[in-house]
Amino acid sequence: MAADEQTLSETARIARAALANVAPEPGVAKPDPIMTAEGVRRSFGGITAVDVERVEIQRGSITALIGPNGAGKTTFFNLMTAFDTPDTGKWWFDGKDLEGVQAHKTADMGMVRTFQLTKSLTKMSVIENMKLGATGQKGEKWWNGLLPFTWMAQEREIEARADALLARFKLDHMRNEYAGTLSGGQRKLLEMSRALMTNPKLVMLDEPMAGVNPALKQSLNQHIKGLRDEGMTVLFVEHDMDMVHDISDWVIVMAEGMIIAEGTPDQISSNPAVIDAYLGAHQGKSLLEDM
Amino acid sequence: MNWSNIFSATLSAFFGVNAMYFALSAIGLNVQFGYAGLLNFGQAGFMACGAYAVGMTAHYYGISFWWGIPIAVVYAVIFGLIMGVPTLRLRADYLAIVTIALAECVRLIVRSVTFKKYFGGSDGINQFANSFVNRTPFNPSSKYSLYPFSDSVNAIGAVLLLVSFAVCSVLLGHMLAQKWAKEERQGFQSKWIICGVAVMVFLLVASKQTEYDGLSFKSLVVGWILAAIIAGFIYMLMRSPWGRVIKGIREDEDAVRSLGKNVYSYKLQALILGGVIATFSGIMFSVSRGSVQPDNYSRDVTFYVLTALVLGGLAKVSGSIVGPMLFWGILSFVDAFLNELTKSWGGHVDIFGIPLITESSHIGVYVQVVIGLMLVFLMVFRPQGLFGNKKEMALDGR
Amino acid sequence: MNPGDQLKKRLQHFVALLLVGLAVFGMFAEPAHADDLAVKVRVQNQVQDAGGKTKKEPVAGVKVVVADASGASVGEGVTDAKGVALITLPAKADYTVTLDESTLPDGFALQEGDAERQVQGAAFVTSTVTVNYFTGAANRATVGWWSQFAQRLADGARFGLILAMCAVGLSLIFGTTGLTNFAHGELVTFGAMIAYILNTDRAITPWLAFPVAIIAGGAFGLAQNEFIYSPLRKRKIGLVSQMVVTVGVAIVLKNVFLRILGGRTKTFAAFNNQDCKRVGPICVTPRDATTAFISLIILVCVALALQKTRLGKATRAVSDNPDLASSTGIDSQKIIRLVWILGGMLAATGGIFRGLDEGVGPFIGSDLLFLMFAGITLGGLGSAYGALVGSFVIGLFVEVSTLGIPIMPGKNWPAPLDWLHNGVPSELKNVPAYVAMIIVLLVRPQGILGRRERVG
Repeated sequence: MAADEQTLSETARIARAALANVAPEPGVAKPDPIMTAEGVRRSFGGITAVDVERVEIQRGSITALIGPNGAGKTTFFNLMTAFDTPDTGKWWFDGKDLEGVQAHKTADMGMVRTFQLTKSLTKMSVIENMKLGATGQKGEKWWNGLLPFTWMAQEREIEARADALLARFKLDHMRNEYAGTLSGGQRKLLEMSRALMTNPKLVMLDEPMAGVNPALKQSLNQHIKGLRDEGMTVLFVEHDMDMVHDISDWVIVMAEGMIIAEGTPDQISSNPAVIDAYLGAHQGKSLLEDM
Repeated sequence: MNWSNIFSATLSAFFGVNAMYFALSAIGLNVQFGYAGLLNFGQAGFMACGAYAVGMTAHYYGISFWWGIPIAVVYAVIFGLIMGVPTLRLRADYLAIVTIALAECVRLIVRSVTFKKYFGGSDGINQFANSFVNRTPFNPSSKYSLYPFSDSVNAIGAVLLLVSFAVCSVLLGHMLAQKWAKEERQGFQSKWIICGVAVMVFLLVASKQTEYDGLSFKSLVVGWILAAIIAGFIYMLMRSPWGRVIKGIREDEDAVRSLGKNVYSYKLQALILGGVIATFSGIMFSVSRGSVQPDNYSRDVTFYVLTALVLGGLAKVSGSIVGPMLFWGILSFVDAFLNELTKSWGGHVDIFGIPLITESSHIGVYVQVVIGLMLVFLMVFRPQGLFGNKKEMALDGR
Repeated sequence: MNPGDQLKKRLQHFVALLLVGLAVFGMFAEPAHADDLAVKVRVQNQVQDAGGKTKKEPVAGVKVVVADASGASVGEGVTDAKGVALITLPAKADYTVTLDESTLPDGFALQEGDAERQVQGAAFVTSTVTVNYFTGAANRATVGWWSQFAQRLADGARFGLILAMCAVGLSLIFGTTGLTNFAHGELVTFGAMIAYILNTDRAITPWLAFPVAIIAGGAFGLAQNEFIYSPLRKRKIGLVSQMVVTVGVAIVLKNVFLRILGGRTKTFAAFNNQDCKRVGPICVTPRDATTAFISLIILVCVALALQKTRLGKATRAVSDNPDLASSTGIDSQKIIRLVWILGGMLAATGGIFRGLDEGVGPFIGSDLLFLMFAGITLGGLGSAYGALVGSFVIGLFVEVSTLGIPIMPGKNWPAPLDWLHNGVPSELKNVPAYVAMIIVLLVRPQGILGRRERVG
């Protein structure tokens, strides 16, 4: 049930064409990887949470990371974005070695992430949340903070960009409200649009659909596709298999910390190893009905 | 019961030296705890940095006491680095423990016999601030009041006092409006201005009751002007992009980190900035007495500043000014009230046959109990302070 | 009734309870006497006994003169059999106290500080200010370094055991609820205070008074949980706010204790003035040996209970992962209650032992608080064993650090190096412990026994 060829956008066609000849096996090399991880391992008191031999993320594509609960997807996200450090392993972003790079530096390099539990800064207004996402604001140096003329022009520019993004994500009517007054789905949207304020190359979304009402899901799908159309690479963790099928160009499956399968959405849904992994976790439920 | 004594003590304390140096310290703590969410329990250590920097100028270095001011800033920065570098990557409670332990180290060292040569031991350092104490215009042996039309105040002073009363009242009016106004409108509203003017008139009349000696009065003028200037800077800073990052860190530091901000560096900046401001509190307190004593910088001082700040409201510049005023007003009221009560009951306060107060030194105990209870109840029921913002309070319930 | 009102009610009850408590103990408190302003001069002779331990003996018949700021004499006195001279003063002001060295007994000389001492007006927090003079023979009898070391080690071990007993509760409470309790020192003081009041004021035998005090300590811990922290948790008040609440509670309790006990340190009627018995190189009183032995047994029992019993395992499960624990059917509220009772009882026991050692004052617990924190941090925040080991090490460290290592015979070293040679001055003996805590945080933030992922 791949999306109809006719409805695919230009970028989607390019992404899928590039991945068409990649063999559907774990750790396979991609034609143009933006992110690569090798031998990344992390254990918590004897339990190995992540043990990835090798994985590559294709530039300009939407890649889904799926797997049963406790497969280590979020830990993997944390390791890649330096929110946690692996016991061993190396990983690169855009050709640069990320070992020893601090979390905030990864964002400067063009890698931004969201969180499974949304982290809206509830006591700040929506627009302040957005403006916080902008990088390179001179007024964020404390000595400039007292000299408004050094940052006012930049601030206006950032505000315009934030307003444009809010309008695109249909949050403009909440602009001056506290972020704490938003609904769960709106918070997800806010977090995503705030992440975009950093002008990222790679957007990593941790369960963007969790807690979002069905009406909003469709538009969220469109937004994610839109990111690819603007030249960004998207890596997302998701449980909603419909969504994975609908928007992803490539799917990576994790179980018990390891990558057990890779492939296009169609290849994955017929992969016996994936079904096994899910059967173990879901006790006999059909794979694609309810995952 | 001599109510006029009680009233006079309360009002004098409201604008007094204690409120002034607490305000300076609270502005600093507000940057750290209120805005950045860093639970610094070592504010007394920063204050001691300032006090001893100016104290040691004459006592040990043998230089003019004015050099103490830049030296104090250097001390505070070093102290902040020692405090922050090991702990700011860790959880909040580590910061609390380490800051309080370090401040205690400072106190133990400055009061020790071992280092008496540098810090004067438990007696502290005296008579170092003569160039401040003996400076005109205020005569140390005369009495002054805040009443603008009294004989001891000249024309310029009267105008300054009137202006500061007006600013006080407008601020208070604005805070009241934030708390109780039904409609949400930006800016000042006329009925609250009227309210503010009423407060101002009240303060003006009441200020007749205040009385300070020359040195205190001079320190008050310098200290409150300093507090106003620093508060203005903090107000601007917290509305700048820097302040935005700081407030973001208080809410959720991981979110801010994921957006490319060096959270560690910002926390260190906030800790040190707050510490440097607190240093000025220590300087002002020591020059207002002309002496430095180690036991004025015990851990309890930090807790009292915290209570005063919470009373005024966290994360509001006005809160860190009004809080200490109210704090010392309340304390002095309780103290003076109990004193008068004890006097009028013949030196004994017995309730149901239990001797609650039998000598005047017992009163201090009850005053401190009031502080502790205030801290508990405020933290539980009014974390936003007495004049909290309605909207933010509503968000707290989530 | 919504949770807010319920909380309000509980807090009101608690305050009422506190006041009633204050009232009850107010009756026990010392008979009130109106003190005049006075300077209390105490002259003591320091003698080192065979074990290298310093003993202080009063010196009588020494003349002291008090002069005001202008140099005019305002009073003088001669020390009595207790080595004390009380000189009443007209007002709170600055004074100079001078000891007449010619009146010292033959062979005695002032050891620390000058004969002339300043007393500041600001020092009159209570109506009496104490000025201490220490004398000693010109040549101190020297005891071998190794026997001094053994003595300090023994004292340190004893102190470490007491500290560990106080700290286990703090650590368990932190582990199960996440709360850093700044009022834990007051649980320690509470135990000592109740024991003192029962034993000394009410003249009850220690065999009854001490267990009652320990049980009261447990009840006091439970009451704090039930009336303050449990409602706060139900109301989902943040941990940082709860921590600030504990600070407020500490201020209140400390001052209530101050009112009940008064500012001066007092000694228990029981087990007082024992002579020390020589055991190898060390010298220890039967009382100290007994308290150390009991502490050791109690700590071993606590460790075993945590390890072996169902409740102990449940406690550790709640510490490790409260959500998981409650999903496996452990009633975490029950565990927390238990931990508060146990913590309160252990703290009370520690307080009594500390009081036997150092005397009972309103701040004996809060003076230990930072050392407890240092111990817990050293051992790993939230781990009960860590607290045990860490506090023991800190106690040992504090005592032993006052003894120098005589390997650097340099003369004018800067203070910290000098301390290595001559030992840390006892007025600063806590400083190295605090510094050690900070270094541990810098190097191994999870502590000696902590695991990495517990942090942050």
